[in-house]
Amino acid sequence: MDILHLIQSNLLTPIILFFLFGIIAARIKSDLKIPEAISEFLPIYLLAAIGLHGGIEMRNTGFAEMLIPMLVAIGLSLLFTLNHYQILRRLGKFNIFDSYALASTYGAVGAVTFSVGLSFLKNQGVTSEGYLAAILAVLEPVAFIMAIFLTNMAVSKQIRTKKQSFTNNEKSDIDIGMKETKTKLSQVLKESITGKAIVILLGSIVIGYIIGEEGFEPISIVFDELFTGAIVIFMIEMGIIAGQRLEDIKKVGVFLTSFAIIMPTFNGIIGVLVSTLLGLSLGGAVMFGLLLASASFIAAPAVLRHAIPQANPSLYITSALGITFPYNIIVLLPIMFTVSTLVHGEGTIDLFNYVSKVFI
Amino acid sequence: MKLYDVKLLTITCEILAQKNVIDILKNHNITGYTTYEVEGNGAKGLRGQGFKNEKNVKVEVIMREEKLSDVVEDVSRTLFPDFAIILYVSDVGVVRTEKF
Repeated sequence: MDILHLIQSNLLTPIILFFLFGIIAARIKSDLKIPEAISEFLPIYLLAAIGLHGGIEMRNTGFAEMLIPMLVAIGLSLLFTLNHYQILRRLGKFNIFDSYALASTYGAVGAVTFSVGLSFLKNQGVTSEGYLAAILAVLEPVAFIMAIFLTNMAVSKQIRTKKQSFTNNEKSDIDIGMKETKTKLSQVLKESITGKAIVILLGSIVIGYIIGEEGFEPISIVFDELFTGAIVIFMIEMGIIAGQRLEDIKKVGVFLTSFAIIMPTFNGIIGVLVSTLLGLSLGGAVMFGLLLASASFIAAPAVLRHAIPQANPSLYITSALGITFPYNIIVLLPIMFTVSTLVHGEGTIDLFNYVSKVFI
Repeated sequence: MKLYDVKLLTITCEILAQKNVIDILKNHNITGYTTYEVEGNGAKGLRGQGFKNEKNVKVEVIMREEKLSDVVEDVSRTLFPDFAIILYVSDVGVVRTEKF
């Protein structure tokens, strides 16, 4: 199917239309608002549904085959985070803190984006591997942990070089820096593992694994059939929040705006290609790509505000939520789907030929 | 009834700084405080819309004057540069001074 045609038909799905509607509602300053309790409940519900499905499927497939994709996903996520940092710091001239915060925001995963991806695939009549839910859970803290580690190392190095001009007592300074890093890291690790997103996701995977298809039957009306409808309601809220932030996009600047579009595209397509090589299915490759393309906007502020408080939160929230999220669900999903269809259909990777056909 | 003079420290800050504030209080052996979620406008823009993480919180602590300047100094030093935060002190009277 033609990419443009797919984007067009994606644009007319209820999820995207309600998202755009939310933006409009915010722009006309309507007092429309999803009650707070519901907008806090919906991410928990979505993660529970994702986890249950993942767990049930892992019961059928076993753990062995998820190991390599998971390790590759972690490796790619770390690599991309470093890559983001270099680009932001060298080309974008952001300071250390903003660079690391943004790098990890884009290295981390977005659970809402993941849910939208699942329902996009459902719409196309394609399934994906259940263990991707487990990868979602594992990837969540990875990029943050590395960025926080590197930020603290950079800061303690700065302190050290500053102090060295006064004294030669360098050992104690390194120790102080290391100690601070360790406490911060263990805190972040503990907070993100006990954080509600990971707890509900892992808990539901385990429960899904235990109950299997049969046990799922009586609750499937809530966790299966209502899934897309629940995303639609959440999309109104996301649209409203994104709409309220539209003015901030001007403050984000041209560089970060293009970063917020180009990086996810690059990461996502690499993800699709790599996972295809690993043997993931058509839908699985799209979800794998989406994991690497998505940016975190619910977990990121909570983690980064504590770990890297010096970074400007409006930069990473606005770019992740205001630019990357809409781009990912409206444009990038159909692109990745097309790429995945292509590499799966031919049996060989003939991307170059395809790209030249489309764009020339 | 006799009222004793103590200080009321009020800190309005982003909800994500609440933990830092309470940790500082704990470091000064202050365990009692009251918090409530609030909204408002300020130098960092309109706050309280959207995600819960973007709300503001108001922390009220009653303490004796001896502790006050240390606490205020700690908060100013560690939180003023990076967080949306307002701090003020007022004089209040309490009945049971031994509680503070």
